[in-house]
Amino acid sequence: MIGRLSLLAPVAWRNLWRNPRRTLITLLVVAVGVWSILMFDVMLKAWTTSSKEASLRTLTGEAQIHATGYLDDPNIVHRLPKPDGAILRVLNSPKVDGWAARVRVPAIIQSEYRTRAMTFLGVSPQDEKKISDLPSQVVSGRYLRSDADIGIVIGRDLADKLKTRLGKRVIVMAQTADGHLAEASYTIVGEFDGPVPAQDEFSFTGLRTAQRMLGIGGDISEISLDGAKMLPLDGVVAALKRAAPSRDVEPWTVLVPLAYTMETFSQSYIFVWLMIMFVLMAIGIVNTQLMAVFERTREFGLLQALGMRPGLILLQVALESALLIGIGVVVGVVLMLATLIPFRNGLDLGFLAAGSEMFGAGRVLYPQLDPGDAVRFSLIVWVLGIGAALWPARMASRTEPIVAMGEN
Amino acid sequence: MSVIIQCRGVEKIYRQGAVEVPALRGIDLDIESGDFATLAGPSGSGKTTLLSLIGGLDRPTAGEIAVDGEPIVKMEKNGLADLRLHKIGFVFQTYSLIPVLSAIENVEFILRLLDMPLAEREARAKEVLREVGLEGLETRRPSRLSGGQQQRVAVARALGPKPAIVLADEPTANLDSKNAEELIALMAQLNATSGITFLIATHDSRVMAHSRRRIEMIDGRITTDERQGAAT
Repeated sequence: MIGRLSLLAPVAWRNLWRNPRRTLITLLVVAVGVWSILMFDVMLKAWTTSSKEASLRTLTGEAQIHATGYLDDPNIVHRLPKPDGAILRVLNSPKVDGWAARVRVPAIIQSEYRTRAMTFLGVSPQDEKKISDLPSQVVSGRYLRSDADIGIVIGRDLADKLKTRLGKRVIVMAQTADGHLAEASYTIVGEFDGPVPAQDEFSFTGLRTAQRMLGIGGDISEISLDGAKMLPLDGVVAALKRAAPSRDVEPWTVLVPLAYTMETFSQSYIFVWLMIMFVLMAIGIVNTQLMAVFERTREFGLLQALGMRPGLILLQVALESALLIGIGVVVGVVLMLATLIPFRNGLDLGFLAAGSEMFGAGRVLYPQLDPGDAVRFSLIVWVLGIGAALWPARMASRTEPIVAMGEN
Repeated sequence: MSVIIQCRGVEKIYRQGAVEVPALRGIDLDIESGDFATLAGPSGSGKTTLLSLIGGLDRPTAGEIAVDGEPIVKMEKNGLADLRLHKIGFVFQTYSLIPVLSAIENVEFILRLLDMPLAEREARAKEVLREVGLEGLETRRPSRLSGGQQQRVAVARALGPKPAIVLADEPTANLDSKNAEELIALMAQLNATSGITFLIATHDSRVMAHSRRRIEMIDGRITTDERQGAAT
């Protein structure tokens, strides 16, 4: 077999360049097809990753621990004691990169002009910085300084809707642990400019300040955490469930089903796109290879007359297709890598403004070619391309030599 | 001498729609090993059809053909390809070289199909190209050779594997008289020196003049089969 390939490969290579224009057009078709498949893959993955990151780095984290019932009814009644014992050991173990305890309750915020519903959070500023991007998104004023900070940080959009601003006071009303309505006045010490939902929904104060207002002592509503980067999240979640069997421990895939669905389905979308592109490519490949075969019918007859078995003729035509499509695939991958060079520091979607955020993505996408995907999709295109070219190859090998020799 | 090609009651009928066109009507023919025979006759007499059937490029409608003792009519495609590779060299009217290969590569291509070792293959290809007078032109592609030179490469390619038989179909048809004379003399000389059997379909009187056996065909039948003086 190797001997036959070494005999046929140089002939196949030279045959490709008998009609350079046709070869170049086919190469272009394959290269652009592969480029478009990889581009779609890269952009969709960048978008999915950005959506996931935006969602997880807003407040969700990779997993959360709640009192049973909190996820269905996020009320102060469903709260947890401050973590200790086995659960604290897991949270402080190398399995967890960072964690933060929070008070998180539905509340009403009122300015002198307007009232709006929002989610009121009491946070530990230093812990939040490990798992959330919101602390870095403060655009005016300051972020919270400590658990005991009595200021409030709200989204810029919420401030606009309340017709209030930095330095003004707002009233926050929420249900207390004993079922009464508590209200407290806070000075706006900072405004953040984060993802649209976060700007509208969240207001932050110090953890102890919120606990005091709600009369819950040292209790909290949730613990949010990020697992260690190199470890599977499932292992961390399982360890936490073992440590706190009476609590709800849920990974982000349950907490943010939309982001999870997008990630899961993105691979299916890519394969649908691959199939569409492949059908278009296959039409081009089969067309050009058929033309090449018809033009050389007499030559195939001659080769058979000289003693070449039909199987070898099929192998030669298939080899020509394999070379042609293989080069096209490599050119497509190189084109893809070249396309990514301008975006190595990220693709700023600022021009899409709120549009991108509305779909849950961050403002900057980081398109990166996954080598595994590049190899997998290239191989699929290559193998399917050769498969498509086998039809003309089979036609060439099945022609009776006397018929083929009669063709001009 | 032994019989190397044997035809018995060979018929070939082409069908054009509902119309049957008989090309061969019961050919009985024995060609002996080492013969230099010509098939002569006007166009449409069945010369090329008979050569194609003997070479296993087509199958007869009826009758039996044996090449070097092997019946070929019911042989599989691969078997026929192997038979041609090992025992039959073809020279066609048009030069029929592989255009992307040089003269020596064209000759070597067949030798590689035979799995001949590299050194032996190169030596043999050079030897036959020298025999046909193409020394120095080995690396030229067909597009850079004249018609006569291309036909010599075709002859060299046919002779490369040392076949038992060379079947040539109008080999001089596209050559000028000088090149045609040289090619005929070359084939006659190779027949004399190597003992390869030549069966040549032609209506070129110069070729017939060199043949030891002249077979004439008209309307798919052999009308004359006579021996002449030795090939020169």
